[in-house]
This record gives sequence, C-alpha cells and structure tokens, in this order.
Amino acid sequence: MMRPSLFALAGFLAAASLFLFTASAAVPISQWPTAIFSLGPARLDEIILLHGLFPRAGVALVAGAALGLSGALLQQLLRNPIADPSTLGISAGAQLAIVIATLFFPALLDGHRALVALSGAAIAALIVFALAWRTSFEPVTMVVSGMLVGVTAAALSASLTLAQGEYLMSLVTWNGGSLGQQDWSVFNALSLQLFLAMAAAAVFLRPLLILGLGDASARSLGINLRGVRLAVAVLATLLAGMVAANVGLISFVGLVAAALVRGCGVRSPLAALALSPLAGGLFLWFCDGVVQTVAGASGETFPTGSVTALAGGPLLLWLLPKVRSLQGAQRPQGSVRRINAIKGFTILATSLPFVVTIALLVGNDGHGWTLLTLQTAADLSSLRWPRLVAAAGAGGLLALTGAILQRLTGNAMASPEVIGVSGGAGLGFAFVLTLFPMSGPYSMVAGAALGGLAAISAVLAFARRQTLPSDKLLLAGIAISSLSSAVLAVLIAAGDQRAWQILAWIGGSAASVTPGMAIFLASLSIIVMMASMFLVRWLTLLPLGVTMSRSLGVPIAASRVVTLALCGLATGAASVLVGPLSFVGLIAPHIAARAGFIRARGHLAASFFLGAVIMAFADFGARTATFPYELPLGLFAAMVGAPYLIWLITRK
Amino acid sequence: MTGISTILRRRHLFLGAAATVLTTRFAAAADMPRLAAIDWAMLETSIALGVMPVAATELIQFRKDAIEPEIPAGVIDLGLRGTPNFELLSVIKPDLILLSPFYTRHQAALERIAPIISLPFYVKGEPPFEKACAAVSALGARLGPERDATSVLIEIESRLAEYRSGLARFARRPIYLVNVGDARHVRVFGSDSMFGDVLSRLGLRNAWPDRSRYTFAAPVPIEQLAKEEDARIVIISAIPVEARAGLRASMIWNALTPVREGRLLTLPNINPYGGVLAGLRFARLLHETLAASGEGDQ
Repeated sequence: MMRPSLFALAGFLAAASLFLFTASAAVPISQWPTAIFSLGPARLDEIILLHGLFPRAGVALVAGAALGLSGALLQQLLRNPIADPSTLGISAGAQLAIVIATLFFPALLDGHRALVALSGAAIAALIVFALAWRTSFEPVTMVVSGMLVGVTAAALSASLTLAQGEYLMSLVTWNGGSLGQQDWSVFNALSLQLFLAMAAAAVFLRPLLILGLGDASARSLGINLRGVRLAVAVLATLLAGMVAANVGLISFVGLVAAALVRGCGVRSPLAALALSPLAGGLFLWFCDGVVQTVAGASGETFPTGSVTALAGGPLLLWLLPKVRSLQGAQRPQGSVRRINAIKGFTILATSLPFVVTIALLVGNDGHGWTLLTLQTAADLSSLRWPRLVAAAGAGGLLALTGAILQRLTGNAMASPEVIGVSGGAGLGFAFVLTLFPMSGPYSMVAGAALGGLAAISAVLAFARRQTLPSDKLLLAGIAISSLSSAVLAVLIAAGDQRAWQILAWIGGSAASVTPGMAIFLASLSIIVMMASMFLVRWLTLLPLGVTMSRSLGVPIAASRVVTLALCGLATGAASVLVGPLSFVGLIAPHIAARAGFIRARGHLAASFFLGAVIMAFADFGARTATFPYELPLGLFAAMVGAPYLIWLITRK
Repeated sequence: MTGISTILRRRHLFLGAAATVLTTRFAAAADMPRLAAIDWAMLETSIALGVMPVAATELIQFRKDAIEPEIPAGVIDLGLRGTPNFELLSVIKPDLILLSPFYTRHQAALERIAPIISLPFYVKGEPPFEKACAAVSALGARLGPERDATSVLIEIESRLAEYRSGLARFARRPIYLVNVGDARHVRVFGSDSMFGDVLSRLGLRNAWPDRSRYTFAAPVPIEQLAKEEDARIVIISAIPVEARAGLRASMIWNALTPVREGRLLTLPNINPYGGVLAGLRFARLLHETLAASGEGDQ
C-alpha cells in the first residue's frame, strides 16, 4: 500500500499548492487567519476567500469524489473498465433535462434543480441499461448505447436551444460545468449526499464484490443478483445526477479516477472502490486549480468540466486494450422473416417517388397543409430539390455506413457516429470557425472534411492491428467523438457568437446546401453504394469473427482499412454538408434486417434506400412542421429514431 | 413562455403574414425599396433610415428581447436567424437582403434569391458603435439619394450629446454593465460591446477593464465584479427566473460594495447585438434610470 499513498500525497500536494497559489492572489496567505477567525464585518476579499474560494475547493473535492465513486460502482457492477456516468450517457441525460427545464419551465429550476437533473439522469440510465439488458451488459454494447444516448441528448439540447432562437448563457455555463461558488450551500448539499451514498455503498459492498466473481458463484452464495444490480445502478445514477444538478456537466472523472487507482498498482476491487472517490476528488481539485491559474494569468475563463473532458478522450483510447469484450455473447438475430427481395425492393422503390412528390408539391403556409399549384411548385423547386437530394444522399450514405459497420463489427448498436468521423469533422469545423471567423462556407466545409479525414486516419491506424477484436474499433471512434464533443462544449462555453454556428452544425440542416453540393452528395452516395457491393464477401464473413474470417481467406487488416475508409468517406461527406445526423445510420439497417434483408448484398442496398427515404421525409418535416421556423434536421432524425429505440427495448 | 405555445403563436402569426405577402407587394409605396432583414442589427439600421423591411427574421424573439424599434404586425417573420426560410423569402422576392458577415454560411443561397448587402457590426476587439454608424451611411448610399443617412447620423449624435450632458453629474463613478446568466455568473459588457462603447461615448467610465480578449460579452463569475468598489452595477435585461432566488441568497453578490450600498440599477431588455437604435435605446434608458435613481454627484 506504499505506492498508492505516495501517489495520493503527491496528488494532494499538487492540487493544494495550485489552490494556495490562486487563493493567495485573492487574499495573501498571511492574512488568512484573520480572515477566518475575525468576528467583525468581513472585507469583500475575505468573503470571496471564505465563501467563494474555500467552498469552490470543497465542491471540487466532493463532486470529484462523487463522480469517482459513481464510476467505480458502475465499473465494478458492469465489469467494464470504461463505464462512467459520461460514457453511459447518464450525464448527458441530466444535461438534456436541465436544458428542457431552462427553456420551457424555468420556474421549476428555482428550487427543484436536483429533481430535474435526476429525472434526466434516471431516464438516460434506464434506456442504456435496457438496451444492454439483452446482451447481459456486454461492455462494448453498453458503451456504444451510452454514446448513442449521449449524442442524441446533445443533439436534442442543441436543437432545442436553436429552436428557441436564443442564446442562453446559463445553459452554456451549466453545460460546461463551472465550479464557481458563492456560499457553502452547494458544498453542504453535495457532501451530505456523498456521505449517504457512501454509507449505502458500504451496505452493498459485500454482494457487489461477490458479484465480481461471476453470476453463478454469486447466486450460489445466496445473493439476489437483480436486487443488488438495481440498487447499485440507482446509487451510481443518483451520484452522477446530483453532481450534474449542482455543478453541471463534468465528464470522465470516474474514468480518470479508476485509471489513476489502477495506475498506482491497486488490483483488489475493494481497494479500487475505496480509493476511487479520493482519486476523483483530487483529480477534479487539481483540474480546477489549473483552470483558475490559467484564468488568473490570462483572464480567459472557461469551465472546469471542459478540462476533465479534454483529459478523458485520450485516456479512453489508452484504456481500450484493457476492455475485455465478451466475444461469443449471444447476439440475438431476432425472428428472421425472409421476404422476397424483389418484393421488398419494389416497396422501397415505390416509396421514393411518393416522398419526392410530397416534398416538392406539398407545403405548409401556416394555415395548414396545402397542395401547391404546379406553377408555384415549379417556382419553388429550385429551392427544394437541392435539399431534398442532399438529405436523401446523406441519409443513404449514413444508413449504408451503419449497415457496413454493424456487419464489420458484429455489433448491433454500431452506427456512423461511433467511428469518430463526425466528431473529427466537428473539430475541423470548430477550428476553422475559431481561426478564420469570417470565412465563407467553403472553408468551413474544407475544415470539417480535413477534421473527418484526420479522425478516420487515427481509427484506421488502430484498425490495422490484427489482434484487435473488431468491436474495439468502435471504442476508438467513441474516444474521438468524446474528445470532439468536449472541445465543442468548450467553444460553446466561451460564450460568443461562434457558439451559435457550432450549435447550428450539431443541429444539422440541409437548408444551406447548394445545388453543387447536392449533386456531389448524390453522386458520391451512388458511387459508395456501388463500391460497397465489392465488399459483400468480406462483410458476409467478417461477422463470423476474426479467427473464422482469417481461416476463410479474408485479409483482416486490409479488409478493415478498405471498409473503414469507405465508411469514413461516406460519413464525412454527409456530416460535413448536412450535419452529424444521428439515428438514421442505426435504425435503417435494423429495419432492413428485420424486414428480411439478411444477406449482405440485400442488406446494404435496402439500408441505403431506406436511409435515403427516411431523411428525405425528415427534411420535408423539418421544413414544414413549424413553418416559417425551420427545425434542425437532426431533431427530426432523432424523433424518427427515438420511438424505434423504445420499441427495440420493449420487445421481447 | 413554453415552446409549444411559442410555436402556436408563430403559426398564428403567419396567418396574418401569409395574407400580407401579396398585399404588401402592392401596398408599398413606389419609392419604398422592399427589404428583407436577416440580421437584427441591419433590421435596425434600415428602420433608422426610415425604411421598414417587408420581412425580417425571428420577430417573436425580437419583440421580446429588443422591444424597440416596434415592428408592425404586417412585417413577415422569416423564421430563425440561423436558418431563415428561403422559400418564404423567394416568394416575397425582396429588392435587397440585409446581412452581416455573421451569416456568410447562407450568403450564396441568399444571393440566388435577391441581391444582398452585408455590413460588419461586431468584430472582436473593435468598438461597434462606429461600425453601426458606418452601416447607416453604407445602407443609405445603397438605397439611394432619398435616404438621408447624414441627417439620421446627426440626429443620433445630437441625442447622444443631450444624454451625455444629462449624465455628466454621474461621471465620477465607473459602471459595470452586466447581464445575469445564472446565480453565479454574469456576462460583462466590455468596450467592444455596443453597450460598453456607447457608455464611453456618454462620458462614463466602464468599470470592466478594457481588454479585447473578452469577446463582446464573456460569462464571468460574480466575484470578478469586486475590483471597483465605488462602481455602480447596471443590470441590462431581466434576470432569468431560475437565477432570482439564488442571486438573492448569494453571499458574494450581497457583499459586493455597490449591491450593499444600493448602487444597483436595472434596465429593461435591450438587444445586445443591435445597431444604432439599440445603442440609442441603451443611452436613453440609462439616462432615465440614473436620473430617477435620485443620486448624483456624491
């Protein structure tokens, strides 16, 4: 136990000296005793020290400890080293709930902030756990589902903020996780909650540790598996929700805390559980010290949550080799109902002209839905066709990518977001926006494209390692996506008008697509579609697993690189021009597979067409539902996807 | 307040708007150019020149946040500033579309509908009022000789001079111009914001140091308002409902010398990213509120 205590001491000293350094800038340290013990009316700088800086340090420690404990509980419960309130979408759920309350029920937040955040966290946790239930909480599926919930929550938050047409500062500060305090109330509330949670965790400690030995041995020792799992999950969600309610979105602390503890050579689960809160608290205190030092030196203020998030992305990549995915866990195929491929394609092919007709001829003039006269439709068609074609092209590309990824990795929750390309595109977009704020749309597109390219190169470099189980590819993409959303959150939190453009991009829109871009997307989608037909053999064999595929003569590294490069091209083009649309890439392949398109060739083609039809229809909805106010396309895509997700959860 | 009712109101609003699409085309006087404003600062600039655009973006929010100038019910709402409704715009067929460089994303699409004019207002680190005045001249020149930009600018200048002399007795104390975000953070308006720029033109000193790295308005923790103890704090725009109780209870907020000594003033909503009219509205409201506060040279 020598090493951990040394490390803890070093961490404490580092964080404490940063604190002393910044706090003594407010009140010189020699005057602290008078400030603390004086009875007379305090001077303002003393009040700032006593009611601003001290509670801030306290809140950093307590919030970090709560997140560390939450992460450690989840990791032990799910036997998953990258489980954390942020990777499981719990924090993003709390964030979405606060955004909704700020926009629509602001009075509710005055006093019931915790309740609001907790309900959001609980709903998100419920969805992720329910999705992972069928694969018995298989780690990769769990994180992929969490990411999906997180991305969707973020897209909804962005869409709602935009649809309100208002730039809300409180929302922004909250999202970034600012630790600034004005009195002791937050500290008092959080430490009481942490104390209660620790007491509860102590009660469940023994069953939880036994659970780690495996279900069978736990059951033979008389443990109520379901009860313990439920209680621990509730506890972890409560902890994350409480932190979210009080200081906002602070990501990855649980992940970092556990990694630090393991890095000190602690192996026993008991010690890991006990030390993670300490590590989390010290880590967050240290990060906050860095933020305050930078703020003191440069005057630039940014929320502490952004620093922890920046540390988290790379750490996630580093942790990947440690994830033990349960290869061979049952992958439910659902009831396979083969349909006649020709019949299926006929249905799809007839729906396409139907959607096109609606999109071009129907309008909403505010009175209600009307059929345009041919003359008006012709007048407006020059505005309507580019976005229709672009939306359909993007939908097709994303759905095709989803289908390819689901086959490549054998993971039913894989979707284009998880390969990190849209995350990289977001980074590139933000980069151009920051350095050349007045540049035109083409340089932003170029920036986003380069960002996407960089991300896919990183993932490809990872993919060339043959020993890597294929679903870890997903985790590499997720790490890049997390890093990207962290950087975007920092920029949004910086609080100028750039934030607006980033929100607009996250929300997604086909409105500003030029005819040239539309033709480009459509041609690209057809080219990628045809190219994917050459991959059919690989995509038929790869789902059988790495060993089996290799013995059947599939070049693993080459097949991965080629396939992922194609996916990167497709996702990059779609997300750069239309936005990082979620869901269509997940659900179109699912629906196609359930409709009976089981063989690779049919599956890819059907997903492509279905994705195109769904997004073409979504663009029509986004354009007309609240005319003349346009809704973000991503909102519509998510609205199509959410019911499907719920159906996926509830079906037997 | 709720989004659903907002959307319903938006739709309801369009009932009137759709009917006026055709009528305004004929009702407009022959010499009146038909303008469509995407940018709010440009909307104000055009109104300052005496031309009410036939269409503008996000009028629901504008009426709530900017309040002045009043927009007649006949002006058509073009939807969100971030995604203006191109179809509606092409049906309206304006003579000129008013933009700022902030909307370069849409510039190409808008150019296909009608000619555009894009003028800068807010550039990081640069005071915006002069740019807003330059925009009055530039738009005036574009609209033709009958739009007398010079007399508009002279009028604005004389109004400012009037407020300036009225405010002279308040000049001893510096002023923090803030906008409350949540119970722990405010947005501070520095010299590169419209309010900060107008404040210095009124002969008053901004208590927030002149640092351009604060982009227009930076969210900062409340305790950063402690530096200037003699200052007044002017809160611009209503305090968000969810922050009210927290701010009342805040130890640090209540310990700030200006708050403790009652040098706290509140102004109604003003558009922080506006043009000359928003600047003038700020000057007038500040003048009225300070004069009504009863304190002066003390």
